[in-house]
Amino acid sequence: MDFSLTEEQKVRRQQFYDKCKELEKKKPASFVGLETIFEDDECWKYHLYCAKEFAKEGWLALGWPAQYGGKGDMMDRVLFAEARGYYGIPGVDIFGVQMLAPTLLQAASEEIKREFLPPIARGEVMWCELWSEPNAGSDLASLTTTAIRKGDEYVINGQKTWNTGAHRADWGFGVFKTDPAGRKHHNMTFILLDMKTPGITVRPIPYLDGHTPYCEVYFDDVHVPAKNIVGQEHEGWAVVNLLAGFERSGINEIMTMFRALEELVKYCNETKRHGQPLAKNPLVRNRLAELACQLEAARALAYRVADLQNRNEMSLMDASAGKIFFSELGERFAFLATDILGPYGQVKTSRWAPLDGIWERMYHEHFITTVSMGTNEIQRNIIAWYGLGLPRIR
Amino acid sequence: MDLRLSETQEILKKMARDFLTTECPKTLVRKLEQSDQGYSPEVWKKMAELGWMGLIIPEQYGGMGYSFLDLVILMEEIGRNILPGPLIATITSTFPILEAGTEEQKKDFLPKIAQGKLILTTALLESEGVFDASGITVKATPKGNDFIINGTKLFVEMAHVANYILCVARTKEGSSPEKGVTIFMVDAKAPGVRCEVMPTIAHDKLCEVSFNNVTVPKGSIIGKLDEGWPLVETILRKGAIIKSAESVGAIEVCVEMTVAYSKERVQYERPIGAFQALQHKMADMWTAMETSRYLTYKVAWMESQGLPCAKEASMAKAYVNEVYKDVSKWAVRLHGGIGTSADHDISFYYRRSKSADLAFGNTDFHKEIVARKIGLL
Repeated sequence: MDFSLTEEQKVRRQQFYDKCKELEKKKPASFVGLETIFEDDECWKYHLYCAKEFAKEGWLALGWPAQYGGKGDMMDRVLFAEARGYYGIPGVDIFGVQMLAPTLLQAASEEIKREFLPPIARGEVMWCELWSEPNAGSDLASLTTTAIRKGDEYVINGQKTWNTGAHRADWGFGVFKTDPAGRKHHNMTFILLDMKTPGITVRPIPYLDGHTPYCEVYFDDVHVPAKNIVGQEHEGWAVVNLLAGFERSGINEIMTMFRALEELVKYCNETKRHGQPLAKNPLVRNRLAELACQLEAARALAYRVADLQNRNEMSLMDASAGKIFFSELGERFAFLATDILGPYGQVKTSRWAPLDGIWERMYHEHFITTVSMGTNEIQRNIIAWYGLGLPRIR
Repeated sequence: MDLRLSETQEILKKMARDFLTTECPKTLVRKLEQSDQGYSPEVWKKMAELGWMGLIIPEQYGGMGYSFLDLVILMEEIGRNILPGPLIATITSTFPILEAGTEEQKKDFLPKIAQGKLILTTALLESEGVFDASGITVKATPKGNDFIINGTKLFVEMAHVANYILCVARTKEGSSPEKGVTIFMVDAKAPGVRCEVMPTIAHDKLCEVSFNNVTVPKGSIIGKLDEGWPLVETILRKGAIIKSAESVGAIEVCVEMTVAYSKERVQYERPIGAFQALQHKMADMWTAMETSRYLTYKVAWMESQGLPCAKEASMAKAYVNEVYKDVSKWAVRLHGGIGTSADHDISFYYRRSKSADLAFGNTDFHKEIVARKIGLL
């Protein structure tokens, strides 16, 4: 058992950290957390800028085979995510780089790989995900939006929802019913489409605090080239499952929390309440220490997931456990931090807000990690059914 | 990075599991809990033959020369099976000798420990029941070439069968509680030493040890006079990691037993494990186990590499303490009525989760260390 990094890995990790530290200095004032890239023009520009900077280094294609412009290995990807998480740097398209690219590498035709991978690696094309529908959330396979084959095209009709960043994305990947009469799980196809295609209407959905990180997308006779599919026609469900297996280790989010903890500790040391630093309050100490322990436990689990991924031994159980654990840790952290800040815990980014108002945001933003990418309840089902082998009653 | 067990560790793990399953069945555990001695000298002898007491003692002193990380793998198995007795007390009391003992002390004690001929334990807590140096009031007063120890220690594991008791005593009133603490290796049969077993939740034979004018030679000091507290911190740090590992093994069994039972037990014409209310609880138990395990491995690896890990060791102990208590509680709950029966094996784990919490620093003690180490004033 060995938790150490090789000398080369240490060097590369330093490069990742140095670059992210440099990019941190260029953050626009409106940037408070990764979600802001979808809400604010300046933040989106900053996201694109960071993407280009990373692309120059070849870091958007870490772990890819060399023939598609790949560089480094899976462990580099983990170390890069760690650095970005710590400094809170965007620039890596969650949908294009983290979800779609590994899926294409495993399941797409050579032609599709050649066409779509290089622009992702160059940081030129930003993607969104088109999966959920108003009546198909956790039970995604019950989706109803159709893509009917007509010659060399599919014609798409229906509606998708909860599409993060769809209003800013260039391209989208989604699953659509291509064989409405077919068996469940064998009636849909994984399709790639240009978001500028006529017939697509994107409407941002106001999130519970009024910001707009995600959208609903309407399809009205949208014509898409039939060649733009991944996997077999009607077998998109297999691709969806494959993609879900590329669950990230969560190290990015965890490192963001480590940084946030450092900032909060600093705040507690510098802020006086009842004539003494907040840090001296035994309740504050106890609760922050407890959180720090859980954070270290989360990091250990993230390494476990990364270690399995590095060896291509992905365990659904560990990926689900990691997702549950780090997302719920985010919830607990937000509740704790806003408690400690007292009345300031409710203040949005402004001159009254301590720590850039990040905690008011976190108080609601945590839902994005607990609810999306398979709700935590679905993740618990996965552990119970596929991991622990508990009976599944339909 | 490669988090798989090494070949040596796999062998050690398998050997330990086979041995404990055969030699220490729950019938024996139950018997030992009710016995006065609290351990089986026969099993102890066999463990010595396997080299467990001397696992991390260097070969030059008759040990196996394994790493601390290897020891942690063994501890997980011990936690899985439950092994009543003085193994952990002996191993953790060996740490100060390994770290600060004189060559003579090492030659005197280590080979005998490795051979299973000596049982050791450490007497730290007193009436206040706190793990920091302020709780140390048992006095050792110099007299010629000797020291005279007076006072009472509590919660001393297996002291009633120990050959030596490492007594953490106050030798000077220093500028801080940490100054003026000395560790003495006291012959448990010395005149004036009296042990009485305290009744505890895990029946793990914690003792009250009173020292009444006990004379010990200067040569029995481990480490330096008045500067023994850092060695106590070593015992607490390494002990915390070992205890975390033991707990991880126990947590794993709690999950396994609960999952297995929920697949067998039928109510409403279906196995209760088919109900999501139970499934999600078990998924959480498993997740808590997995986080506990890799947090423990991480800190054990750091300790093994000689990296500073006081913060991480305290994090692991504080975290795993709570997980063990919670998971074993849910294990009993999900077993329903039968889980509350003393005849059911799950009850061992629930009771032991409380004693594990209290060994080598409870959660709040370690959280305070963490609070300081993360930079709070």
